[in-house]
Amino acid sequence: MIEVKDITKKFGRKKVLNGVSFTANKGEITCLIGINGVGKTTILNAIMNLTPINSGEVLIDGEKIHKESYEKITFIPDAITMLPQMRIADAMQFMADFYQSWNQVRADELLSFFKLDPNDRISSLSKGNTAKVNMLLGLALDVDYLLMDEPFSGIDIFSREQIADVFTSHLVEDRGVVITTHEISDIEHLIDKAVILNDGVVLREFNAEDVRENEGKSIIDVMREVYQA
Amino acid sequence: MKNFLKLTNFELNRFSKIYITLIGLTLVMQTIGMILLSSSYMSDVEEQLAMGNSMEWITINLGTFSFSSLTRTFWFGGPIIIAIVTLLIYVFFIWYRDWFGKNTFIYRLLMIPTARINLFFAKASTIFLMVLGLISLQLVFILLENELLKILVSDAFREDQSLKQIIFNFDYMGVLYPNSIIQFFINYGIGFMAVFVTFTGILFERCYRLKGILFGILFAGVSLLIFISPILLQVTILNEFFYPIEIFILMAITGLVVISGSIWMSHYLLNKKIRV
Repeated sequence: MIEVKDITKKFGRKKVLNGVSFTANKGEITCLIGINGVGKTTILNAIMNLTPINSGEVLIDGEKIHKESYEKITFIPDAITMLPQMRIADAMQFMADFYQSWNQVRADELLSFFKLDPNDRISSLSKGNTAKVNMLLGLALDVDYLLMDEPFSGIDIFSREQIADVFTSHLVEDRGVVITTHEISDIEHLIDKAVILNDGVVLREFNAEDVRENEGKSIIDVMREVYQA
Repeated sequence: MKNFLKLTNFELNRFSKIYITLIGLTLVMQTIGMILLSSSYMSDVEEQLAMGNSMEWITINLGTFSFSSLTRTFWFGGPIIIAIVTLLIYVFFIWYRDWFGKNTFIYRLLMIPTARINLFFAKASTIFLMVLGLISLQLVFILLENELLKILVSDAFREDQSLKQIIFNFDYMGVLYPNSIIQFFINYGIGFMAVFVTFTGILFERCYRLKGILFGILFAGVSLLIFISPILLQVTILNEFFYPIEIFILMAITGLVVISGSIWMSHYLLNKKIRV
C-alpha cells in the first residue's frame, strides 16, 4: 500500500500541498482528480522522492522510499524520460541494464500491442507513439505500483483507446496504479478509488463502486457536488 | 559498483561524439600547422640556398626548425585551448542537459535503483577520464608530429627535441604535464577537487534554484578557505612555522576534507533536496 500522510509542500511562499493524505492499494486503480495546478504532479513527484516535501511522509508498503524501492514502484511522467536520440530498442536496453525488474517478454508483448518499431528513434515518434513508449517503459517493469501522470493528455483518440485498453488487461492486473487526470471521462469506468483535490487538500476520497451502488452517483456527479459546494 | 560503472559508461558514450571531434580537431590542426610551418620554413631555406647562401649562414640567420616552432603557434595551442574550454563547459553541461533537454532525463536517472551519489561519481569520473584521455593522447600526438617533423625538415636545418624538452620549452604544458609525481597529484588533485566542488555548487542551484546559486558560491568560498587555510595560517599567525613539506601534507589533508565535504553534501542534496 502507498500511504501519503499529511504532506505539505511550498514553492516559495505558495503552499501547493496543504496536508494531503490518502492511500492507494495494490490491485486497485486510484485516481487523483483535480484541475490543472492543484498539485497532482507534485504528489507523484513527492511519492517518488523527486521533489522534497516540507512535512509529512510517504510510505510504500510501510517503508520510506529508498534505492531498492525503485524496483517496486515506478513513475510514468507526462513526458518521456529517455534521450531523444535513443531508438526504442536503446531505451529498452537502458531499462534492462539498470532494472532487475525489467521484463523483456512483457516489453516485447507491449511493443506488438502498441504496434511500435524498436528501430524508431524517440525523437521521430508522434506524440501518441511517444506516450505509448513512455507507457511501455513503465509497464514492462515487474513492479507492484505504477504512478502515471496524465497518460491521456494531448494524444489522439486512437492512442487514448489503446492506452485505456492497457488498464483492463493483465498488464495492469494485481498492481496498484495511481493515475492523475483532469479529464475524468476517458477512464471513469476503470477507476476503483477517487481522490478529489483542490487548493492543496483532499476534498474527498471514496471508492467509486461504493458511491455508484450506495448513492447512485458517478465520479463526475461527486466531483460536481464537491467543486460546486 | 556495477551500476556506477554502467552509468559511467553511459555518460562516456553520451560525450563520445564531442570528444572524438575534439581529438580529431587537435590532430588535424596540429598536423596542418606542422606541415604549413615546416613547408614555409623549407621554402625560405630553399630561397636562401638558391641565392647562394651557405647552410651555416642559413641556420644562423633563419634559425633551425624545432618542435617549439609549432608549439608557440595557434595551430598547436588553439585546439588545446578549445579542448580545455569545452571540458570546462561540459562540467556544467553534464548536469544541466538532464534537466533542460527536450526530454527530462533526470527523472529516469533519479529513479534508477541505485544510490544517487553514483550519478555524481559517474559524471565526475567521466570528466576525469576525458581530461586524462586527452592529456595522454596529446603526448601520443606530439610523438607522431615529431616524427612528421623529421620527414618534412632535413637534418641540417632541424633541431631535434626529446618529449621532455618539447614539454618544458612551453610554459603551460608544464601545468598539464608536471615534472614530478607529487606535482602531478597537486595539479590534478586541485583540478579534480574543483570539479567536485563545482558539481556540489550545481546541485545547490538545482535544489534551491536562485537561492541555490548563492549557497553554491558560499560553499565554493568556504571550500577554498578550508583548502588554503594552512597557507593562510602560515603567513599570518604562525609566522612561517611549517616546513614546505608540512604545508604540502596539511594541504593534502584539507583537500581531502573539501572533497569529502563535497561528496557528503552532494549525497545529502541528491537524496533529500533534489527536484526535477
